[in-house]
Amino acid sequence: MTNILDDYALMSPLRHINNWLKLAIVFFGLLLGVSSTSPITPFFIAFCMSFATVAFGRTPLKFYLKLLLAPAGFALTGVIVIAFFSGSGQELLSFELASYPLAIRADGLELSLLVLSRSLSGMCCLYFLALTTPMIELFAVLKASRLPESFIELSMLIYRYIFVFLEMALSIKYAQTVRLGYSNFRRSLSSMGMLGSTLFIRSWEQGDKLFLAMNSRCYDGKMTLFEVKRSVRAAEMLLTSVYFLSALALFYFTKNISII
Amino acid sequence: MIILETRSLKYTYPDGTAAVQDINIEIKKGQKIAFVGQNGSGKSTLFLLLNGTLKPQDGEILFHGAPFKYDSKSLREIRKSVGIVFQNSDDQIFAPTVYQDVAFGPANLGYSRERVDASVQHALEHVGLTRLKDKPPHHLSGGQKKRVAIAGVMAMEPEVIILDEPLSNLDPVGADEIVDLLNEFNHFGSTIIISTHDVDLAYRWSDYVYLMSNSKLIGQGTPAEVFKEQELLKKAGLRQPTTLEIYHEIERRGLAYGKNSPKTIPDLVNTLKPLDLMWVEVPPGIREGDSLNLGVMYGEYATNSPYEAINATVLHIHPDGRAIVELKRKGIKAGGVLLYDTDKYSLQEVRQVIKDGEIVFVGAMGKKSKTLAEQDGIRLDVTSGVIDKSILMALCGKRCLILTAGGMVDHALKRTREYVDKSGIEFTVGVINREGGCKWLDETDGNLGELGI
Repeated sequence: MTNILDDYALMSPLRHINNWLKLAIVFFGLLLGVSSTSPITPFFIAFCMSFATVAFGRTPLKFYLKLLLAPAGFALTGVIVIAFFSGSGQELLSFELASYPLAIRADGLELSLLVLSRSLSGMCCLYFLALTTPMIELFAVLKASRLPESFIELSMLIYRYIFVFLEMALSIKYAQTVRLGYSNFRRSLSSMGMLGSTLFIRSWEQGDKLFLAMNSRCYDGKMTLFEVKRSVRAAEMLLTSVYFLSALALFYFTKNISII
Repeated sequence: MIILETRSLKYTYPDGTAAVQDINIEIKKGQKIAFVGQNGSGKSTLFLLLNGTLKPQDGEILFHGAPFKYDSKSLREIRKSVGIVFQNSDDQIFAPTVYQDVAFGPANLGYSRERVDASVQHALEHVGLTRLKDKPPHHLSGGQKKRVAIAGVMAMEPEVIILDEPLSNLDPVGADEIVDLLNEFNHFGSTIIISTHDVDLAYRWSDYVYLMSNSKLIGQGTPAEVFKEQELLKKAGLRQPTTLEIYHEIERRGLAYGKNSPKTIPDLVNTLKPLDLMWVEVPPGIREGDSLNLGVMYGEYATNSPYEAINATVLHIHPDGRAIVELKRKGIKAGGVLLYDTDKYSLQEVRQVIKDGEIVFVGAMGKKSKTLAEQDGIRLDVTSGVIDKSILMALCGKRCLILTAGGMVDHALKRTREYVDKSGIEFTVGVINREGGCKWLDETDGNLGELGI
């Protein structure tokens, strides 16, 4: 079986924490990270969020780092370009590459660090949400945010059947592979096409069956969603407040600091 | 009382294939019904008709004597009373979590939040899935999904539960659990209808069988009647149940006899009665056909239980004073099947019963009891097919304890008592922790005498 992000979220002990508290923490982190003018606050947020995901949320550290590597790689390449090509202050490092002068200047470096820290903090915040809050917990949030009922119902059904079709797609792919369906590029293309069309037909049929199943249990056009009440405990509240206050304090005191 | 009835029912699919033709059935309340037939014989279509999902072109369906009406209000009533569990659980479970799926039916019936919660809790408890209520369905095993599907239907408290191929794709233990569950619902008064092509299941489990072939009903009756008809089975593309087949083979070799067709393995064992003959010395004056009391035997002379009282009928007297007699054995210290209701559970009591009662064989029925035993480290000898295996052990003079709860206690008690009545072999049966429970038979060691045979 393939594990996807949602599966880690389902197994996480933080799953049972109040959804709104988690959302508040994430949005706080995102906003503060983006509005900070020094890289220190975003780095602090990134560290706190990663710590919470790995230590409290029990996400395997190795998996978490691997997950972080992909977007971090993008951010790093972008940041290097910024460091070399922007800014006009004092030169920190310069060399010639094929008789073209390259230099890192102080404010360029400052800017690139800020960009790196902001993107990192944003990613860590979103990963915190993704790895501790499975989709099934978010439906209640969607409902409370007054989205149209039919939209939520559809997303619930889609969520459920993603996994049915994922399994179906994997077993079809396996059946094709054992009969050499992916042995060269041409065959891969045609196998892929068959897989797609089969899945389409199957999902069409599944729709019929779904309607039958819902009808036989007296479906009247409305799926009721029961939200599980999860109260916020004092310890959680305290920890969140400490985090918020220290992040805000850091934000305030590092407002005009430049690290270089 | 007839709960569901069809009269010359006919349904043809839009492409012209006839799915069911001329079906007349009468389903009585509280029965266990099996529709048996090959794949594509029209069972599934019939079920959709009985649930009001499809509308017949011809004929009618009556529920409690009133014909089905197909306006939305009447359909709602029918679907509440006749629940259907589909063959593929993935078709049936569509909500993102187990709880939400089971709550779907009750919520559609317009129950209050509290009542929905209560029915869901009750249903999940019954199928033993309370702990998994917040899981998404794709994290469940096949058997668990099937139980969620059943709970989803049960939560609406239907009078009739229809299950399309309930045991397909389940492992043997998972299948046994579903059968136990169905028996329990039936015990509480639900009428259960299943479709299957597993003749062994239909033969063993059901009260009444309908045979279907090529969209028609080709036979009906009690399982013993229906599965006797070799020709009919051939026509339906089925074979005889294994138990029955074995029985016929050993009967043909003169090794078994019985009036009823044996359904379960204990029944089958009970038919194994070769003539039990023996040479004995007889006192003068005894004539052929007389009865002799041979007293109590044990050890290698007692074949069914540790001690046996034996009577013999004299068949032939040899001139030298010896005679051939046919033995009639009656176990004295036979084994027993004790039931323990885990609704009133105390570990200490169970341990004491096992020790004082010299119990050598412990089984558990139902998820709850199995979990309890596992938690408290009670060693279980058997967890599936518990009643049958316990009866077999009791027949060999062993004492068995079955841990079980709820309606399964009465079900197990009934089954075992039925066996005792039918076979005439005495062994103790009873529920320990219940008013008017049972005591072990007194030991008979005191007055045993060795016999000079």
